Amino acid sequence: MNNAASVVTFSREQIAAYAVASGDRNPIHLDDDFARSVGLPGVIAHGLLQMGIAACVAAEAAGGPQRLTRLTCRFAGMVEVGDTVTFSAEGGAPGRLDLRATNQRGEPVLTKASAEYR
Amino acid sequence: MADVAGKTYPAVAFEIEADRVAAFAEAIGAAPGEGVPPTFAAVYALGVTAPQLFGDAEAAIDFGRLLHAEQEFEWTRHPRVGETVSSTGRVTSDVSRRGLRMINFETQTRDADGADVCRSRAMFVIRP
Repeated sequence: MNNAASVVTFSREQIAAYAVASGDRNPIHLDDDFARSVGLPGVIAHGLLQMGIAACVAAEAAGGPQRLTRLTCRFAGMVEVGDTVTFSAEGGAPGRLDLRATNQRGEPVLTKASAEYR
Repeated sequence: MADVAGKTYPAVAFEIEADRVAAFAEAIGAAPGEGVPPTFAAVYALGVTAPQLFGDAEAAIDFGRLLHAEQEFEWTRHPRVGETVSSTGRVTSDVSRRGLRMINFETQTRDADGADVCRSRAMFVIRP
């Protein structure tokens, strides 16, 4: 199958939209003061938002979202407002995609990430 | 702090509503009109069962120190808009090592006929 990639700069608005749509309104995603009070640099993106974007890229490479049968990843790095992450899916063995997500400093934010499809 | 390995929570029903799916698809930048985005399982599977674990006094999880470390979703099929699915969460392991507590939490989602739809495996880490 094909490879696919997408570059996303995370905005406060997108993180807030995901918080509302997903129902995960943990204040570390919505409130800078709260996020700093628990030792974070400011609000951070949900790991599952990153995974959702990675899934879109995987779906493009797989020929459609409904073809995905498995998706797995480790949330390896924080994504802050303003970070630009490059998501990519690359065909490996048949029915399998290797997924990558790397920020503007070249640091992986998702690791051990892969998808399977049929 | 109790070790809650093996604990299963009551099944939670969830109706997959069009508006919610559309908002979710838009938030992740999914193409519209391609059905329920696969990771909407974050809502209908994990999203409805994880709060049972986080709110469980016996599990005593400090939410402020919780990190979502790993996630896996496996689908038998993807649900359709308008369907009601039912999800059951279970703690498969609960291990503390050098101050870090690691909880593996599995959620099985089934359709109205009891057929498998999705299995979610989350690993949560609770920092000291």
